[in-house]
Amino acid sequence: MTGAGTWQAELARALAEGGVEAAAWVPDKRLAPIAEALAAASVPVRTLTREEECVGWAAGFRAAGGTPLVLMQCSGLGNSLNAIGSLVVPYGLGFPLVLSMRGALGERNPAQMALGRTAVPMLELLGIQAFRLRRPADAAMLARGALAVADGARQLAPIVLEPDLDMAR
Amino acid sequence: MTPTEAVAALLRAHPGALFVASLGTATSALRSASGDGPHLYMGGSMGSALAVAMGVAEKRPDRRVVAVLGDGESVMGAGSLWSLAGLRPANLLAAVLVDGHYTITGGQPLGVPAAFADVARTLGLAAEVAASEADAERLARELLGPGLLEIRYDERIWPGPSPFVDSALVRARFEAAAAP
Repeated sequence: MTGAGTWQAELARALAEGGVEAAAWVPDKRLAPIAEALAAASVPVRTLTREEECVGWAAGFRAAGGTPLVLMQCSGLGNSLNAIGSLVVPYGLGFPLVLSMRGALGERNPAQMALGRTAVPMLELLGIQAFRLRRPADAAMLARGALAVADGARQLAPIVLEPDLDMAR
Repeated sequence: MTPTEAVAALLRAHPGALFVASLGTATSALRSASGDGPHLYMGGSMGSALAVAMGVAEKRPDRRVVAVLGDGESVMGAGSLWSLAGLRPANLLAAVLVDGHYTITGGQPLGVPAAFADVARTLGLAAEVAASEADAERLARELLGPGLLEIRYDERIWPGPSPFVDSALVRARFEAAAAP
């Protein structure tokens, strides 16, 4: 799962080759192979206490001229809404955001369902386009596209990891 | 000591630093003390300013970074004290302006202990408390990064400039100031 050639490795490689210098996350099982691949590509991955903090850290890194990345689970998006709405959006401090989905097809935990169902609609209400990754073969393409949106258009660029990815294996 | 005098002491201690200010009093005081300098003022995102400063410090390890934080801001973003102790950016000073009140919302009491230096020391950070401009300036200069300076001010005077900043302008000016 974590080896070369997996979609996680392809996503991480394309993000690193596209200029991502550092990443922040709150640990998540589904994101772990991506974090490991980033670290293997010499991208430092910082563990912070809350997803909102990761958003703040990335906004600061971006404001200082860098290209950051954030990895979070969709429940963490709920923790981050004010930082996105009052910092990332108005200041134009966009960055790629890899969003792993819980509360989607195949979920067994009732506590995950509400944030899974509302994650992308919440982003859309904030004026943010979400880019859905469904097929393993599209990982590098979405990484490059999200970097263009974050860098050029200065928007938050979420790459949504749909459950289809693992079901397609 | 007023909040503006507290921030003026930080500016004297670190004249070439990149400053990040949390919303409300910290932003108004930094605008006042620096003549509206090209700093990263938060118009909102309460609780995130120290995390923002950690991002700046990580991208620019060659520059001194100072986070000017309110006390309400710092309890809302208390987890970032743990992150500061975990990441240990050697170029970052967190300065907490303590008056025990939520100023911009009408002066309601903080309602929780303002024990920022104590907590920071428990987390293994260098931390001091200053209650005068002279001490604030000296300790801001002496504290090794990552450090926390709790500045207790007694004159609760609104600094003046609006905390509702033009975010696009703030970003553009800060980007230029932070560029290599």
